[in-house]
Amino acid sequence: MKTPSTIAASDMEPMRFRMARWVMANRGLVLIIFALATIAFAVGIPRVEIRTIFKDLLPADDPFVQVYYDHPNFGNPLTVSVMIKRKQGDIYNADTLQKVWQMTRDIDLTPGIDHDQLISIATEKLRFAESTPYGIDMRPLMDDSVPSTPDEVSDFRRRVEQSPNARVFYVARDETATLINATFLDSVEYGEAFEFVQDLVAKAADDQHEIYVAGQPTLTGWVYKLQKQTYEIFALTLGLLVVLLVLYMRNIAGVVMPVVCAAMAAIWGVGFIGWLDRPIEPLLTIVPLLLVARTLSHCIQYTERYYEVLEHLKDKRKAAEVSMGVMLAPSVLGIMADVFGIVFIALAPITAMYNHALFCGAWALWLIPNGVFLASILLSYLPVPTNADRISGGAAKETGIHRAQKILLSRIALLTYGKYARFTAVVVVVIGAVATYESFHIKIGNPTEGSNLLWHDSEFNTAVRAINSHFPGMNTLEIVLEAKTRDKNVRVARTPEVAEVASRIQAMVESDLTLAPQATLSFTDYMMEGNRLFSGGNPRWLPLDPTVAAVRAAGTAVVFGSNPVNFGHVSDFEFQSSTISLWFKDNKQETVDAALASARRAVEAVGEDHPQFRVRMATGFIALQQAMNNVVHRYHWFILAMVNIAIGIISAIAYRSFVAALLLLIPVNLSNFLLVAAMKWMGIGLDINAVIVAVMGVGVGIDYGIYLLSRICEEFTAQGQDWERAITEALTTTGKAIMFTASIMLIGILPWYFMSDLKFMADMGLLLVAIMLINMVLSLVVLPLLVWFVKPSFASREDLALSENIDLSKYMTPPVVAAVLASEK
Amino acid sequence: MRIRKYDVDYGRRALMQNLAIGAGAGVLTPLSKVFAAQGEIRKSYPDELLSIDAYTKGKVKTGDTINASNVELVKELLDPCIYMQVKSEGRKFRIKKTQTDWSTMFPAEFYEATLRSTKSPGKFDADGNVVTQDGKSWVGGLPFPDPKTGDEVQANLCLSWGRADYNQYAVNDVVLNPDGSVGYDYEFVWSELQTQARMDGKIFQNKADLLRYQTVLFTSTQDVAGSSFLSIWYYDQRKFPGLYGYLPQFKRVRQFPTNQRFEPLIPGVTWFLTDPWAAGDPMRTWGEYKIVERKPMLGAYNVTADIDQPNWMAKVHGGPKGTTFFDTDFEFVPEVIVLESKPTAYPRAPVGRRLAYIDARNSIYNGNTRYDRQDKPWVNFETAFGQYKKGDKVVYGPDGKNPAWSWTYCMSYDMQTKRMSRVRHLEQCGAGYKSVFSADNEEMYNKWCTQQAIQRLGSV
Repeated sequence: MKTPSTIAASDMEPMRFRMARWVMANRGLVLIIFALATIAFAVGIPRVEIRTIFKDLLPADDPFVQVYYDHPNFGNPLTVSVMIKRKQGDIYNADTLQKVWQMTRDIDLTPGIDHDQLISIATEKLRFAESTPYGIDMRPLMDDSVPSTPDEVSDFRRRVEQSPNARVFYVARDETATLINATFLDSVEYGEAFEFVQDLVAKAADDQHEIYVAGQPTLTGWVYKLQKQTYEIFALTLGLLVVLLVLYMRNIAGVVMPVVCAAMAAIWGVGFIGWLDRPIEPLLTIVPLLLVARTLSHCIQYTERYYEVLEHLKDKRKAAEVSMGVMLAPSVLGIMADVFGIVFIALAPITAMYNHALFCGAWALWLIPNGVFLASILLSYLPVPTNADRISGGAAKETGIHRAQKILLSRIALLTYGKYARFTAVVVVVIGAVATYESFHIKIGNPTEGSNLLWHDSEFNTAVRAINSHFPGMNTLEIVLEAKTRDKNVRVARTPEVAEVASRIQAMVESDLTLAPQATLSFTDYMMEGNRLFSGGNPRWLPLDPTVAAVRAAGTAVVFGSNPVNFGHVSDFEFQSSTISLWFKDNKQETVDAALASARRAVEAVGEDHPQFRVRMATGFIALQQAMNNVVHRYHWFILAMVNIAIGIISAIAYRSFVAALLLLIPVNLSNFLLVAAMKWMGIGLDINAVIVAVMGVGVGIDYGIYLLSRICEEFTAQGQDWERAITEALTTTGKAIMFTASIMLIGILPWYFMSDLKFMADMGLLLVAIMLINMVLSLVVLPLLVWFVKPSFASREDLALSENIDLSKYMTPPVVAAVLASEK
Repeated sequence: MRIRKYDVDYGRRALMQNLAIGAGAGVLTPLSKVFAAQGEIRKSYPDELLSIDAYTKGKVKTGDTINASNVELVKELLDPCIYMQVKSEGRKFRIKKTQTDWSTMFPAEFYEATLRSTKSPGKFDADGNVVTQDGKSWVGGLPFPDPKTGDEVQANLCLSWGRADYNQYAVNDVVLNPDGSVGYDYEFVWSELQTQARMDGKIFQNKADLLRYQTVLFTSTQDVAGSSFLSIWYYDQRKFPGLYGYLPQFKRVRQFPTNQRFEPLIPGVTWFLTDPWAAGDPMRTWGEYKIVERKPMLGAYNVTADIDQPNWMAKVHGGPKGTTFFDTDFEFVPEVIVLESKPTAYPRAPVGRRLAYIDARNSIYNGNTRYDRQDKPWVNFETAFGQYKKGDKVVYGPDGKNPAWSWTYCMSYDMQTKRMSRVRHLEQCGAGYKSVFSADNEEMYNKWCTQQAIQRLGSV
């Protein structure tokens, strides 16, 4: 900053200063405009819908996801699985069977349940077959009352053994557990159903039985439930941010201005998405919180500069005007960097991400009017802080944390120039090279048995593991046999061609030497069983004759007397399209890869295209997990590259130098490599959370760089073109604000890691904290280091849009000028 | 306050009072007396219960069409499911004149038998089965021409579904998906032979332990053609009928579990075995029969069959593709008995209760709504009955002289999944099978009602 002794008068006042002057001259009018705009945005707030739409979390253009969209029923997305496990002994006792009966009856009272799709060993839908003098008699496993005597229990066990379907899918291999599957209607209210079932489970568990609940509706219920916790953490962290701000600033202007600007930007951001009628994804709540923190940090940068100017001008209105003129360009550029870091997330073909990018990108954009114009106007009205000099009054006047920060930053500055610079450079290059190398070898995918949204030891994931260990489980891969037409006279799922293809695929994957599934199931299996029973019960009648009549008859035998929805997991309602379900032991990436490879081999062998149907890979838990990995694989580098290009271009324009763009981009990309490398060393795979964090990290990191580089340029002139003094001065002023900014975001986000029961959110919080800390360190070390080695020529130019040079004497009253000159003498 | 005897709300209040004191049907004069005397129905009900014009004080007139725009005017007169269909699903209906001619409300033989019954109605024996006053099996017609209890109302429905000794219906059942597309489109023949409660007062082939034989033979679509079910009903209404199925390919009869009444017999349809006739199960496997209301209603009562249309098929309208509901007329009925019952003998039933809407004039139902155990409406099984006479076209009943009387359509609408089974009584269905109202019972028994018969029929 130029003091009167270094005034280089310019007749042509830059646009930003003219704009600042106009705004301050009409600050009342501008405030009214802000108020009206805020009201207009606020009207949109009641329209906001906050909810998780699970299908919106999937990459829409992925072939697997498209199969899922076309056949949403396959893979049991609406089924809740309740496992009742006997702690000691097996389920064949009156007590446990009574519990299964009662739980089955009680679950039928759950709001939104499809009464036709409630299946357990206590329902009539699980049957066994016996030959009688009157023909084949298919009867329910359990009669109209619970087996209570030893003989009845024993007979019931015999019936289960005569029912292959029940034996594989409803009674555990070790007979210690049984499953109740309850499928819900599309119209189910997940939260309501979840609470109801959880209540049943709590009442049913006792010292002899453990009860586990899993399935997609249960997961949704957990996410809904934990959203309440999310709001609590959000409120807590907001409170922490304000407390920290109060402790740091200890004056009214320094607290009120950031809080008001953050609130206004929030109202604009939320109201805007309300007007667009797009839902907000609560799983990504941490991003808006990050934006609040970013608003505070911008305002802090702004306030500190205001204090510096005020120290010279002694007039809060003029100081506010000058601060606006000085900070306009770096603020806009910094905020635009944030905006780009968010909006490019929308490139990923995930609807929830797109909506969120729109929501948060716009919110970030609203920081420009609020964080620049409104901030200045507020500062011009708010009382003059009495402690400004203790915050930014220079080494002699600063105290406490401010002084400690300054000392630390002075020492850091020493590492970036002079005799230590080469040593620091070597360390940075080595670390950078290793990190870059390692980051290219990170695994894609971060599998958790169950859901990656929740912690490993969460109730849900524990239930998934328990069910997976007793039954074929939840990890299915669905190969869809999709009918080409819908003809009521040709039920494609009940044709010889489908029966043959399904049987061949099942046989091939079951004999796969690399990885065989734990179980397979298709409608053909049901038809074969029907064929056996109607032919007298001998297992040699299992194979179907490859004729239209034989297969059609077997299909009819199975479905007569039952509802097609009973087969909704393997066929559509009209028996046109069907699926082959393959159950795998877990969802580790190597299992997923092997399962998909095995399925692909089988599909290639039978061919994809057939006259009446096509074989489509694939849906189910395994396929959808792979789809998420695919999107990371496809878009990680692309989105990062786009953000780099966008920010590089605007930086180059702002500094009128490509070198400047490079100087800014190198530290942030290095941060990204360091983060990814750290994840690899910690055994964490690269998933969609990490991609979001990486992209946002570039935006946040570049923001630090812009403020620091602008200050270095300014100080380079002010310090008589002395690089060492310029770097030291920049680090101890703007660097201090960066350090505080990073701290405040750390406080804002770190609690999510410790407090959130949503692993997704906690992971994102941790990764964000990590990348921002890395960004801070690299901004404070690597950027000055680069400047020191490169010694860019643009630093000495006075016509930069981002230059913070200002002739304060123009704004001083004569007595103040005299006082300043006297003090300089 | 003094209530005028014949004010506009008098009839409705009187019906409520009758319900409270357990009286039979009728307001001005007991309906049973008027029926026994073959008198004018007008003697039993005031004008306001015989004319929608009078009841609504002219807001709705006979001949009006009710649709979403004016359904609120008659909301209280509609079964809640039908109200929802009109309000939200695009259903509409025209209001026809209230029928007052007894003879059009029954098959002629059943009318005569019921007239006889007024002199000696039935009673329940110790097992809850209907018997004559001298303790023998019921001989035909309504056993309780003046039903005063829920049990009596149900007994009138369950003893003779088709109200004839032999009925054979050619049927089309189209299943419409929630988006209005056709999921299934079956054609079948429904054959029904009474062994007791017959119009001729005899016991068919001396099968004194049985009530009826009933066979369903599918003729279309191709996947089910030739498949058939034979159901043998016991007179004892505590016993489940025997249920046998035959699939031609296997040439083997399969015995089906008969106590599983809450599954569709054929895939895709929304109705269970329990739904048809509002008495699809043996009477004593349900219980807690209770008349919960007597009130005037609008419904598809006394609906004349569309025998002037090709194959008796009606036009359709409404729903997502304009094909969900049959075009039909509704009638303002002076007294509808709302009967509640519960599946007491089915410990695993997904059904909580059932409400049937029964015309007090002829004890036939029009609506039959099953509720789930959360007491949410689940499936409404709407059935229209009426004469087979339209203009100068007549289809004759068993005596060959009087018009046939039977059901004309069913619409089984699942309110939870929005799926519709639209069932039509046709003149003829696949493989040339025709609807029959008059036949040699012995011949029909041999043709339709044995295990050998269904195997033979399966060779279509």
